[in-house]
This record gives sequence, structure tokens and C-alpha cells, in this order.
Amino acid sequence: MAGSNIRRVKPAASNRVSAYLLHHFKSLLFSLGKIYQAPTTTIMTVAVIGITLSLPGGFYLFLKNVDAIAGDFRSSSQIGLYLDLEISEKQARALEKQIAGMANVVSTRFISRELSLEEFRQNSGFGKSIDTLSSNPLPHTIIVEPAEADTFTVRNLLNSLQAMPEVEIAKMDTEWLERLYTIIEIAKRSVIIITVLFAFAVLLIIGNTIRLDIQNRYQEIIVTKLIGATDAFIRRPFLYGGVWYGLLGGIISWLIVEIGYLAISGPLERLNLLYQSDMSLITFSFHDFIILITSSTLLGLTGSWIAVARHLNQIEPT
Amino acid sequence: MIEFHNVTKRYDGGFEALSNVSLQLDDGQMAFITGHSGAGKSTLLKIIALIEKPTRGQALLNKINLNNLARHRIPYIRRNIGIIFQDHQLLFDRPVFDNVALPLHIQGFRPQEIAKRTRAALDKVGLLKKEKSLPITLSGGEQQRVGIARAVVHKPMLLLADEPTGNLDPVLSREIMQIFVDFNQVGVTVLVASHDLDLIDVLDKPRITLNGGQLILNDLADSKQEDRDGWQ
Repeated sequence: MAGSNIRRVKPAASNRVSAYLLHHFKSLLFSLGKIYQAPTTTIMTVAVIGITLSLPGGFYLFLKNVDAIAGDFRSSSQIGLYLDLEISEKQARALEKQIAGMANVVSTRFISRELSLEEFRQNSGFGKSIDTLSSNPLPHTIIVEPAEADTFTVRNLLNSLQAMPEVEIAKMDTEWLERLYTIIEIAKRSVIIITVLFAFAVLLIIGNTIRLDIQNRYQEIIVTKLIGATDAFIRRPFLYGGVWYGLLGGIISWLIVEIGYLAISGPLERLNLLYQSDMSLITFSFHDFIILITSSTLLGLTGSWIAVARHLNQIEPT
Repeated sequence: MIEFHNVTKRYDGGFEALSNVSLQLDDGQMAFITGHSGAGKSTLLKIIALIEKPTRGQALLNKINLNNLARHRIPYIRRNIGIIFQDHQLLFDRPVFDNVALPLHIQGFRPQEIAKRTRAALDKVGLLKKEKSLPITLSGGEQQRVGIARAVVHKPMLLLADEPTGNLDPVLSREIMQIFVDFNQVGVTVLVASHDLDLIDVLDKPRITLNGGQLILNDLADSKQEDRDGWQ
């Protein structure tokens, strides 16, 4: 009978798959359209997310720069060997060769007693008083540049050099560097804590925005449920909404950090000039950018998922 | 199509909206549910539309027990039903066409198919020229016709209408009811709740009358009884 004929009118299976994908695409555009229709709310939400994420982002970049500068110092850390005054220049040069052949040593430089005295005379301003000395008080010096390695290896090298009979004092001026590294390590962990906290804040912001969105579209949800929409169908535009918030918020935070760094790059270059350093400011790499955008988008998705799970099921037609 | 066996619906707080109601509506039939407001007309429709569950008794739609249906199955059952509301329940943020096309979107039809069927449904209710209008710009009768177009666009086997002419003048009401009769004539089962007795008298369709949640008149059962009597 006619009634049963009517029942058979259903889209074909192959059509359904492409229609399903089409619906996904449409929800994506639809949720973007919703954002476009309510620009004030969206801009505010996205701005809050952007500012929130820019804090851990900025800290991360700051640390990355400090790390690079510290690394620069580390690679230039040297060990100074002040030899026994009894050692002759010939013996000293032989020792330098021997050390140059050691493991974990990149290069050595020999500074003779005479050269040291000459440098001291010129640089210290005590030239006249030095002339009054009867003998040269300065020892032969060997500057050893260790290979880039962990602190332990470098310290071992220092100890073995110190143990040499010809060496009076072996000195490495890196204790302050180790303190700096410890501080950096503390800062790194703080950044992780800050990032976790702020990520949580972003989850709450997005969750709340989506919750309001769900309330605003209460009627639409009721109607679509009554005409046979599945939970997944109703959920989809809200989830995509969260994805857009996260994505746009991530881009905003990236812009904030980049602009912030642009603002301090002027004085920093002057500082570089003053220190005759060739350090250049590190900004987000492409890799960092992708990680930032991906994680903010995932935060958006998660936040909206939580809101949807909590609030959408409570809406039922009565 | 629809079977109620001693269905009772008691709401939280103890109010009994339906008491021991049994009835049967066959495929392709059309019937009216009448009664005063509060008689249980809406509750009866809500049980069929899976909005409410019976407290006692059994409600069946196409042999499917509606009492303990898993949540995820509900949307698919509802796709076989077209529901028309007294207050239309249109979405005012989108044009007429999008309102009517919504059930087809939900069921995953292709765009060309959606356009074809939506225009056909709008044509049937005489609103083809209004497809781009926003619902707010339409009159009450036109809004109700949009609601009907949305209810029939996916060609459901059952149409439920809750006071569809509640806010309309007699002429418009007659037109709306005629649309239901037309659908019934092409094989759709139709169940309309209405207290517009004058209009119902004109249409000469079986009547189910409720009073205080109890079935006090059931033409469907009587006509069967007559058939049986005729046999004897």
C-alpha cells in the first residue's frame, strides 16, 4: 500500500557517505558563519583565548632566547691552566701539544710568561709599576677549549688537567653558568606549570562560550531533535565552533607574541651593539607555530566537547 | 501503525494525563483526537513522538515498543514521523527554504535532491514563491503551512498534528485540514489533535475523544465493532 511505498524513499548508501562528508563540511562553514554573524562575542572570546595563550607562548620564547644565549656562553667556556713557575717555555709547549691530543679537547692556545706580562703591561695601566719588578711574576698559561659536552665530562677534564704535575692551577670560570642553567631549569618548569594552568583556563573559556552558544540555540536543538537529528548531528556545529575559537585564538596569541618581540627588538639590537655580540632574537619557528596552533585548536575541540557533553544531553523536547 | 494497550501516563507530582487508554490506528487511516484542553490529547501525541514515555501499559509504533527504546534509536524512529505544532516551531534565523529542508539535511540527502523535494513540499502547501522569505515576514497561516511542508518533506509514513489550526481563522483552518486530508489520500497515516469540533464534523473522519485522560469515545474501535457485527 501507499504507506509502505513512502517508507522506502531513503537516500542511497553511497550518497549517504558523501552527504555525510558534505554535512561535516557544511557544519564547518555553518559554525564559521555563526562566528561571522556574532562578531563581537567571537572577537572577545578569541581575544581572551589569544591573550591567555600569549603568556605561556611569550615565556616559552623568552626562555628559548635565554637558553640560546647561555648555550653561546657554554660553547665559549674555557679552562685556563696556570703552570708552575719552574716550568720552562719548551716544557710548557710540549705540555700544550700533549693536552691538545687529549680527548674532549677542541683546541689549545699557549701564552708565554713574556707575552702575558706584555699584555698585562698594556691593558692594566700598571705598566710603570711592573717595570720595577725584578722578575716576571706571571706563569706560562695554556688556554684549553673543551669539546661541547655535558658538565660532568668537562669537570672530569678539568680534574685530570689539575692533576698534572706541571699545572699549578686549573680554573674554569663556569660556576655562574651552572647557576644560570639551574635558574633556567626552574624557569622551564614554571613555564610548564603556567602553560598547564592557562591551557585549563582556555578550556574553561571555550567551554563557557559553547555553553552560552548552546543556550542561545536551545529552540533549534529542540526542533532538530524532534525531526530526527542524531546527537552527533546536533553536536557537530558546536564542536566545530570550538575548533574555530581555538584556531583563531592560537593565531591571535602568535600575533601578540610576535608583535611584542618586535617591540623589544629595537632596544635589544642596541644592546647587542654595545656588547659587540651577534646574538639575534629568536622568534617562533615554523615548528613552534604549528605546535601552538595545533594545541590551541585541540584545546578548543576539548573545551567544546566538555560543554557539549555536559549541556546538550540535558536538552530534550517536552 | 499505532497501538496503545492500557496506556497510563502519570507525570511527576501525580497528575495522570492518560488513564488506561487503548486504541489502534491502522496504516493509511486518518483520525482526530478531540477533548478539552488538559484532556490528554498532547500527551497521547507526545508518547507516539517519543517525547514522553508511558508510565504503564504499552505503546507500539509499527510494532516497535516505544516504552523502552534505546536513546540512540529515537532519532531514527522519529524520521518516520512528521510532527506539526500549534506554534509552528520554525527557526526564525533562516529562510523558509532552509526550514523546510532541515529534515532532509538531517537524513543526509544530497543537495540536488534536497532542493527538488523541498520545492515539491513548498509547492504542495502553496508557498513556492516564499522560499526565500524569513518566517517572521509570513502570516500565521503561512507559517503553519511552512511547518506542514517541513513535516512532510521527507515523506513520513505518519503525520502528527497538535492543534494545527489553533490560532487560525475558520477559512484558513479549513485549508490546513484539507492539506492533511490530501496527504491521507496518498497513503499517509494522519493523527490530528484538535478541539475545533465544527471543522471535524465537516471532515467526517473517525474521532477519538478524551476527557480527563480517559478515552470516552473511540470511532476507530466502533467502526471495527460494526465490521464485526456485519460479519455475523
